[in-house]
Amino acid sequence: MIKKVGVVGIGTMGQGIAEMLAKNSLDVYIVDQSKNRQEHGLHMIEVSLDKQLEKWAITSSEKKLILSRIHLIENFEQLDQCELIIESITEDLEAKKQLFAQLDKVTSKDTILASNTSSLSLTEIASATTTPERVIGMHFVHPVATVDLIEIIRGLKTSDEIVEATKQFAEVTIAKKAVMVFESPGFVTTRLICLMINEALHIVEEGVATAEDIDAAMRIGYSFKFGPLQMADHFGLDSVQAALENMFRETGELKYRPSFVLKKMVRAGQLGVKTGAGFFNYDEDGDRI
Amino acid sequence: MKILVINAGSSSIKYQLFDMTNESVLASGLVERIGMDSSIVTHKPTGKEEVVEVKEILDHVAGVKRVIELLTSETSGVIKSMDEVDAVGHRIVHGGESFKNSVLVTDEVKQEIKRLYSLAPLHNPAHMMGIQGVEANLPNVPQVVVFDTAFHQTMPKSSYMYALPQRLYKQHQVRRYGFHGTSHKYVSDVAAQVIGKELKDLKVVTCHIGNGGSLTAVKDGKSFDTSMGMTPLEGLMMGTRSGDMDPAIVPYVMAKEDLTINEVNSMLNKHSGLLAISGLSSDMREITDTMHENENAKLAFDMYVYRVKKYIGAYAAAMNGLDAIVFTAGVGENSIVIRQAVCEGLTFFGVELDEELNKIRSKDARIISKEGSKVKVLVVPTNEELIIARDTFNIINNA
Repeated sequence: MIKKVGVVGIGTMGQGIAEMLAKNSLDVYIVDQSKNRQEHGLHMIEVSLDKQLEKWAITSSEKKLILSRIHLIENFEQLDQCELIIESITEDLEAKKQLFAQLDKVTSKDTILASNTSSLSLTEIASATTTPERVIGMHFVHPVATVDLIEIIRGLKTSDEIVEATKQFAEVTIAKKAVMVFESPGFVTTRLICLMINEALHIVEEGVATAEDIDAAMRIGYSFKFGPLQMADHFGLDSVQAALENMFRETGELKYRPSFVLKKMVRAGQLGVKTGAGFFNYDEDGDRI
Repeated sequence: MKILVINAGSSSIKYQLFDMTNESVLASGLVERIGMDSSIVTHKPTGKEEVVEVKEILDHVAGVKRVIELLTSETSGVIKSMDEVDAVGHRIVHGGESFKNSVLVTDEVKQEIKRLYSLAPLHNPAHMMGIQGVEANLPNVPQVVVFDTAFHQTMPKSSYMYALPQRLYKQHQVRRYGFHGTSHKYVSDVAAQVIGKELKDLKVVTCHIGNGGSLTAVKDGKSFDTSMGMTPLEGLMMGTRSGDMDPAIVPYVMAKEDLTINEVNSMLNKHSGLLAISGLSSDMREITDTMHENENAKLAFDMYVYRVKKYIGAYAAAMNGLDAIVFTAGVGENSIVIRQAVCEGLTFFGVELDEELNKIRSKDARIISKEGSKVKVLVVPTNEELIIARDTFNIINNA
């Protein structure tokens, strides 16, 4: 039984994952580069819980209980008590490989090492460890708390037992629909959504329609909860660009080449919700202004 | 004969051990936070010192095991070995339409309880873990299940159907089930004894009002109608539940506030009722303590009382008469002002409360209306664990 889960990297996805795990009665141990980042991450989880409290989704005692299950820890060694560790650091292959090499050393051999990568190769991440059979992809979709889907990606050497245990965890413990995916750039979700975002960006570039109208078209026309451009703002435009570039590099397919407007905005540091501005503007709590 | 009564929640086990020769409680206790490495066990053996321990209890099997160890331990135990326990009785929230009475646990019974998971997704699976926990530890001890819904299975169809497309009833079992049945049955029985008449000759409204609350019209000794519905959300205003309201409010508020199904469910069940109106507390004691200076607390009190009264009136009409009103559970047994406020507006029916009798605090079942009051008013402390023990005892002896 998985009772304690480590989360490495407490950015937007890490926050969502940690909050969702704690809501499911699991003890969560968070590591990040600095105390500041950890504290900011925890603060954002509190903000998220407060919003839910305002919307009557939870009670104040439930909020307290959820927060009491989240523990900030200082070093990797303290992760050895966890049965599962989920990595959600930046989408940088080298950084992830380094991290997995470290996790490989400090954890016992039956701990599941999962990556929340949205498009990188699990096999390559696993190659940094001496135990690639316990490395697996658990790709959550933002916002993690409300999207009941998870892609489970097996690398070339991931063992059947680890796949089964991860699927069990996803479907029973945290009650999400698990989609089983063989390793391929972008898996299912990232491949489809990034292509749509990129196409929306081409539409902006060509001056065919405004960002507002493109989003309205997909929201109202096809019952999307968010339009593609607001989605891109939520993911972080740098993350969208990184995913597209990775798929472009891996496959050589032109359809994945990031649009110029995307590159321009990333260069300008206009990355979406996390910087307060992307295609739309956001306040400190991440709400659209 | 000794009977262990268990009320299993998703992460807890409440238990009481009864000696049925005199219906005394030998020990009671609670295992909390099951599944964590710091579960809390509180064990209260009668006549011995209370034991509180924090330890790892990972599932209900381990929980029941610990309960057995405590019950039979040299220092805090009350029996020598579990061989002395003749049967285990379980509280089960939902028996659907399948169970009209308490029954002995068999494979078929377990299958049926599982089939009813969708009607009580939070409770029935937890109860099943309790049954399995006992099975694993005491494979030869017979078990009995007692259902909160069973007593209400006598309701006529005109009471339990909703005016909705019939397919919803046939396919998804959408109907009124009612809850607190064990308590409504017990207090109506006791009330008849206190009055000195047969229950079947009386028309009674039982008010089980605690943090949750429901009223039942008992006619011919059977449940004729009850205020809780398919779920415990319908009926009275409660601590944190809304009770009755226009169902069209749900989609309207969902659209206006952009709420999901979970959010609106949580709002109606956990953020409404006394808590929402008073802005203060879901606890009636705090409401009555502060209502003289707090307008919102007063409003919460008035709304609460008004709704209890409306149901009593409706049930008197439904039964074409009323012989007794019975108050029970936390608020019903203890709140003098609530009982008084409810009865004050019912003089028209012939309800004459004796203010002095109403003020007396006691653990006994008693009449609190004036001598000669056309409708008798009673307070009957409920004891769901004892009823479960009695039912278990009867079923084992007749098996």
